[in-house]
Amino acid sequence: MDWIQFVLAPQIVNGLAIGVAVVLMALGLTIIFGLLDVINMAHGEFYAIGAYVAVALLGAGLTFWWALALTPLLMALIGYVTERSLIQRVFHSKDRHTLTLLLTFGIGIVLEDILKLVFGANPLRVEAPISGATEMLGLFFPNYRLFVMGLGASIIIAVWVLVFRTSLGAMVRAAAFDRQMTASLGVPVNRVYAATFAFGVALAGVSGVLLAPIYSVFPTMGRDFVLIAFSVVIIGGMGSIKGAVIAGLLLTQIQSISSLFISPVWGDPLLFGIMVLVLMWRPQGLFGRLGHA
Amino acid sequence: MHEVTSRSLGHPARALHWLAGLFFGLALVFAIVAWTVGDVFFFRLGTEALIFAGLALSVDLLLGRTGLLPLGQALFFGMGAYVSALVLKNWSSSFWIAIAVALVFSAITGLIGGLIAIRSKGVYFALISFGLAQVVSKIIFNTRELGASDGMIGVPVAQIAPGLESGQPAGFFLVVLSILFILYAGLAYLMETPFGRQLGAVRTNEQRLSFLGVDPWRTKLAAFVGAACIAGVSGALYPMLRGFVSPELMFFQVSGNAVINVIVGGTGTLIGPVYGSALLTVLRSVVGSYTAHHQIVIGILFILVVIVLPRGLIGLAAPALQERLGRREGAVRTPILHAEHPQ
Repeated sequence: MDWIQFVLAPQIVNGLAIGVAVVLMALGLTIIFGLLDVINMAHGEFYAIGAYVAVALLGAGLTFWWALALTPLLMALIGYVTERSLIQRVFHSKDRHTLTLLLTFGIGIVLEDILKLVFGANPLRVEAPISGATEMLGLFFPNYRLFVMGLGASIIIAVWVLVFRTSLGAMVRAAAFDRQMTASLGVPVNRVYAATFAFGVALAGVSGVLLAPIYSVFPTMGRDFVLIAFSVVIIGGMGSIKGAVIAGLLLTQIQSISSLFISPVWGDPLLFGIMVLVLMWRPQGLFGRLGHA
Repeated sequence: MHEVTSRSLGHPARALHWLAGLFFGLALVFAIVAWTVGDVFFFRLGTEALIFAGLALSVDLLLGRTGLLPLGQALFFGMGAYVSALVLKNWSSSFWIAIAVALVFSAITGLIGGLIAIRSKGVYFALISFGLAQVVSKIIFNTRELGASDGMIGVPVAQIAPGLESGQPAGFFLVVLSILFILYAGLAYLMETPFGRQLGAVRTNEQRLSFLGVDPWRTKLAAFVGAACIAGVSGALYPMLRGFVSPELMFFQVSGNAVINVIVGGTGTLIGPVYGSALLTVLRSVVGSYTAHHQIVIGILFILVVIVLPRGLIGLAAPALQERLGRREGAVRTPILHAEHPQ
């Protein structure tokens, strides 16, 4: 009983805080794939840029809350420009799956090196804006992690409402379902594509800001993190929002709880093993695709 | 004959053969010049470029033929390097034994990896091959017996023949060049066999291939194992050149660079990736001596090629060269080629 209260429960709560951040990353990936059919290999770099933008804003004297509010807007701008100036150019070719994957891979390489050039390769620390801990059931939980969980969950719900319950979301889903038909109904499809990409990038950015006080900030911080997000998206089903949320929370819990029994070093191989098993059983992932289901 | 050849390659075949001859000829000229002036640095750099050209060939076999994009080919490259280093350190100093053991190991891991990765298509395949390499490199990174994050240093030189060992810059360069030539010529020949056509058919239309009574799964698995073997042999040469191995050899950087070399050189041309590796390895070294941020230069070059030249540098050079070769031979064959390759 003590074990559950003092070992397992904190681990679950810590896992949940990381979990919502992973879900935000995975949502960005899965929405971009669901609508544009683009595997965004630069997603981990956009996550890192989100954290660095926050670092820069904090350095300019803004509070963490301003940084948290402004970063998604700046990231959306970066995403929009990237889509319009680069991805749009190869988007209409026959090989677009491979070409967009390669292109975003190239963009990731350049962005990572730009981060090294501007901020240096050494890790930076970001002070958590909320200190202290809250007592629940005789246990102390760090307030900042609780805040990350709460805000992350609200954003996830907001994304779901936006995609499935608003006319804007309907437009996006229509563009994913039948591009030509949607265009002929007067929807500016190309702008919808760019805006969707920008939205996904903004989600990666938010994830970067939220985790900056928990982990340290360094140029390659996105590499390992994006691998988890990719596993989540593959297991949940590419393009599925529901899949990303369920698989994201499930996988981070498995990773978090398993680290009590096995060395954390084996966390990634474990996740990957699960991914392989799921793919052998259901090659399309657990859930269907955005706009197609 | 040539008409059929050029159709199957999707590129003017004679120009590609000519460019391949040019590459190996230039490499020999380089060897003579460097040997005359007694150079060591450029021999080492050139040998490294050739080793990575082998890795690029294995990527092109998958990407250019079957249309499967491998993002984790460094897995087999690193596997070959580690196996070769272990053999040289603990068992035998024979070059041939190290290569043979590395080959067997790459074939086995290629088969296991293939059984996992071939189930998936398109972007799923790319991500799974990426994940496979990531996981294995993490395991190696954390295994103390394999030197963990430091890798293994002090790999002894390999004895290739009496009086010839991997420590000799010129001799080893020529050995690696010969191996690369055998790999290239073998692949170029294989592409003209029925099996080579099947590979192309997997890319074009997998379903129709199965209507012809050919199992696309088996074809893809064979290509995957073959590519793993080529990457493994290339990797086995690495510790002989540098005297060490490290987990970085399996990291995404290496897989990614191989893909970049293939795309910049020209996907599906076999000789393009060889040119790409040679050019970019030298470029990385030259730019790297001025700035630590050479990845920006490589990355921007790569982005430009993907957007502007999807067929790579060879895709740009080969059609023009083919026209010249055709003109020299007389006007009889040219119109047929033009009909098949509207420029």
